[in-house]
Amino acid sequence: MKVSLNWLKNYVDIDVEINVLCDKMIMAGFEVESIEDLSEKMKNVVVGRVVSMAHHEDSDHLWVCQIDVGDKANLQIITGAQNVNEGDLVPVALHDSYLPNGAHIKRGKLRGKSSEGMLCSGDELCLKDCDYPGAEVDGIMILKADAGAVGTDMREVLGMFDFIIDFKITANRPDCQSVLGIAREASVVLEKEFKMPAPEYNSVGGDIGSHISVRVDNTDMCPRYYGRTVKNVRVKESPKWLKNCISSAGMRPINNIVDITNFVMLETGQPMHAFDMRYVKGNRIIVRNAADGETMTTLDGKAHTLSSDMLVIADGESPSCLAGIMGGLESEIREDTTEIFFESAKFRRDSVRRTARKLGIRTESSARFEHGVDILNVEYAMNRALQLIYDLDAGDIVDGVVDIATTLPKERELDVEVSKVNELLGIDIPGETMVRILNSLSIKTCEENGVLHCLIPSFRDDIESRADIAEEVMRIYGYDHIVGTDMTGTVIRGKKLPERIKTDAVKQLLVANGMFEITTYSFISGKAVDTLQLSDNDTRRQCVEILNPLGEEYSVMRTQLVSSMLSVLTTNYNRKNKDARFFEVSKVFVPKNLPITQQPIESPRLCIGMYGKDEDFFTLKGVVEELIGLFSKDVEFAFADEPYLHPGRQAMATVNRNTVAVFGEIHPKVATQYGLDTRVYVAEISLDVLFAIESPQLICKPLPKFPAVERDFALICDVEIPVAALESAIRAGAGKICEKIELFDVYTGDQIEKGKKSVAYRVTLRSGASTLTDEDIERAVDKIFKKLEAAGAVLRS
Amino acid sequence: MKTKLEEIRCTAKKLLSEAESIREIEDLRVRFLGKKGELTAILKQMGGLSSEERPVVGQLANEIRGDIEETIESVKKTVTEKELQLKLEAEKLDVTMPGKKHEVGGLHPLNRVLEDMIDIFRSMGFDVVDGPEVETDYYNFEALNVPFDHPARDMQDTFYLADNLLLRTQTSAAQIRVMENRTLPIRIICPGRVFRADEVDATHSPVFHQIEGLVIDKGITMCDLKGTLEQFAREIYGDDTKIKFRPSFFPFTEPSVEVDVSCSECGGKGCRVCKGSGWIEILGAGMVHPKVLKGCGIDPDEYSGFAFGIGLDRLTTTRYKISDIRMLFENDLRFLKQFN
Repeated sequence: MKVSLNWLKNYVDIDVEINVLCDKMIMAGFEVESIEDLSEKMKNVVVGRVVSMAHHEDSDHLWVCQIDVGDKANLQIITGAQNVNEGDLVPVALHDSYLPNGAHIKRGKLRGKSSEGMLCSGDELCLKDCDYPGAEVDGIMILKADAGAVGTDMREVLGMFDFIIDFKITANRPDCQSVLGIAREASVVLEKEFKMPAPEYNSVGGDIGSHISVRVDNTDMCPRYYGRTVKNVRVKESPKWLKNCISSAGMRPINNIVDITNFVMLETGQPMHAFDMRYVKGNRIIVRNAADGETMTTLDGKAHTLSSDMLVIADGESPSCLAGIMGGLESEIREDTTEIFFESAKFRRDSVRRTARKLGIRTESSARFEHGVDILNVEYAMNRALQLIYDLDAGDIVDGVVDIATTLPKERELDVEVSKVNELLGIDIPGETMVRILNSLSIKTCEENGVLHCLIPSFRDDIESRADIAEEVMRIYGYDHIVGTDMTGTVIRGKKLPERIKTDAVKQLLVANGMFEITTYSFISGKAVDTLQLSDNDTRRQCVEILNPLGEEYSVMRTQLVSSMLSVLTTNYNRKNKDARFFEVSKVFVPKNLPITQQPIESPRLCIGMYGKDEDFFTLKGVVEELIGLFSKDVEFAFADEPYLHPGRQAMATVNRNTVAVFGEIHPKVATQYGLDTRVYVAEISLDVLFAIESPQLICKPLPKFPAVERDFALICDVEIPVAALESAIRAGAGKICEKIELFDVYTGDQIEKGKKSVAYRVTLRSGASTLTDEDIERAVDKIFKKLEAAGAVLRS
Repeated sequence: MKTKLEEIRCTAKKLLSEAESIREIEDLRVRFLGKKGELTAILKQMGGLSSEERPVVGQLANEIRGDIEETIESVKKTVTEKELQLKLEAEKLDVTMPGKKHEVGGLHPLNRVLEDMIDIFRSMGFDVVDGPEVETDYYNFEALNVPFDHPARDMQDTFYLADNLLLRTQTSAAQIRVMENRTLPIRIICPGRVFRADEVDATHSPVFHQIEGLVIDKGITMCDLKGTLEQFAREIYGDDTKIKFRPSFFPFTEPSVEVDVSCSECGGKGCRVCKGSGWIEILGAGMVHPKVLKGCGIDPDEYSGFAFGIGLDRLTTTRYKISDIRMLFENDLRFLKQFN
């Protein structure tokens, strides 16, 4: 809400520096977004009178003018403009002056003649006709005779000695979307009187009923419709003060009638509308819902197709106004308008909001209705408008009002105990202080036996309870009075959820393994599943879509973390970061149905991704093993068939037949799609499955009492046989005394028959009950050989 | 014979004094004192001596043996010392060469800061809880006193997934679930990811992180809110940090405040970081709105409480002086490595 300081001063005496005012307003809850000093835009430009003019000797178009700027001597100024005449009042930029267009003017010479400054055009002063009549003329801006005495600062003439303060109005204070609302608050923080104008005007008789008939079909969406008629309208330019007010809010002055409606809206917060009665067909106004498919063209020239949930103000035939949002082009006020119907109404805020959004229109009016206008202010605003019509001699006010309202609210009563307010705040504010503050805020309050009896005015719909009263009191009393205290009451121990504790352990392990944590968006491109080569029936293609995404790139909720990881690896690879080890812990979103009607399952996942000269499948597997080892020692690995992984270099890890992780080298085709021409390794781990593993209680085992025996096995088998099969054969053969099985060599090549490989194991045997005898050992070794043979391996000769 | 013995003593001592290695010494020991050594050879000839001479020579021989043994020990010591000295000298390293490291990774800066926050609040008795990222309209808005079509919804641009489902715009959504499901008193923080349909720039990200705090108990006051936040601010920004309440509006708290901390950069004098004001806005807070309490079945006449929401991303960027929030989501290794 942009407010001119000069305008504000009409309603409250402001005798402090602007910064003091702003600080006080901030501490009362009105954040200041900006302060604009209008006078800073121009310096050293004054009103001057052209005393005489002569042709420049060396030019066919330049004039040498003598200008009276109120000093003893006239100034000689050269101008090229041809519209200046002796006796004219003109804006004069003196030596060392600054213009709003950024120009810095100094004295100088033009074809040998000295010029002490410059006569200004409207363009150079950044003025339009609406700012100052005649500003857009080709040539120098000629000032009106009453502009001011020679030497007057042009800022005075143009109303530029002013500050525009932009207040941020919170959604609970629609009453402050008005200069009066801000003035009321300013009067409270400055402890000054709030001077609310009391409208007075004379009407000319007649009866509104013979001019117009109004019907409200939807009183739910329009709780109050108030109207007056003005005849013999004299549409003209508004006076300067009115135009200054309109421009200070960033709006454009148009003509006296439109300016009055805008002024009243800015001043009181109540939007108004004026209809040209010539275009109100049948002299009827009907407030009704639009018919589906009905069309109308708004003031801005745009055509809209309406639907039945939108409220319109229609005449006898068709919609002529989108209720509370924008008027129709047809019935707008023109220079030859002679009779108008003024509307001041309350439309339901959600109705205006919905219609404005649907049609993509946002106006000063719709913004105010959306936040809510005061139903009682409707009449006051109308009277202010009529007063201005009267004061500006803009027309003749016809007697009689249209006022179609459901019930009008009375001031609400609210009783609040002083002690309860203080209990909530934790400090001790005397009841009488509360009474004083609340009364200053126009909340009529008296105290009786420790209870505040408050009468809440209709413009403070937001005040409903003790907490609201506490806030009103506190923001004026000052939050500096709140002193920090330690909470008392039950002592509570701060706990973490088990999932968080386990996640922390996982992260710790990964960090110890040289991994860096990354953070990526939860939404990804819908095309990512294609890039990962997921098959048509892969459930990960069932993504939750965002209805209003920022773009295709961020359009679906991810069902896997791999594609985000690959993007990060690509970024790093392209930036020549040589080796990278990353992990991310985040959620994936698995819909229960599509399109979704209930919350999807949010599954915690871990993704690991790496590349670099020291990385291979087994460095990744090592990390995965360590990780799962935190939760279970019984993990099994098997070949997997993930479409985005290398078909021969991927595995899945299962614990109790539940898949915990899938990992491996990225399929070269997928890597190419990402622009990665290096081997990349990724793992995706289902943390929910991992965390669900019940970890057995740790019980310390005594250290072994009896010696261990090591035996080496050099074996030959088919290349295709996975070593895991050999290992389980050894384990089965050795039985209870098997302590450790270490694979220490795998070899294929010259020494070995084609299609075969040599595998070497070191097996540690130990009994917990006694020292192993040679016989024990021999028996175990025999059994191991038998099992190995069954698994397809023979002793290497 | 005596002369011979003295000669042996003399030669042995001389040769020992010249010995340079343990091995040489050992050779000399064998030569003089060994079974076939010179001293033994002489003693073997003792049979030819008279009974008067024998004990005298015998004594002398023993004395010489003792003397030589002593000399051997002392020379050995010196030589060992010398050898060690040489070895140590030869083993000298260029200690300025780099150490052999096992590279350690690191947490993302957001989570480093989050870990600190969790520590601080747990020490004040706050439980750490989680909430869903996809929320229903009810939990994200309605129950937080933001009815449908309320202008307060304009404060946040929401990503919708269905009519009634959205990506939570605030961790405050978790408040309601906690109040519905927990026994009183409540003292929790809920860190998490939130989403708003903001276009990406240096200070805006459509995905960011908040830490929601909620306390509900009998007799909780606004002064308790300030005390709690003061303690938090001092832990994060240093002991002499001050905080300031400014009135504000959130639909689910009343009274509502914005909370500023004194600028840690300039100590409140005003600088570029705090845009000259001496204060930095870090969070929003307030007393839980009675309507919200009632909606969760908590009697506002009996219980009161406060809530606050801290922006983790902003806290992180200010703490590490990260100029562009996008760096947090870009994950360049050279960036990430700066935080371990």
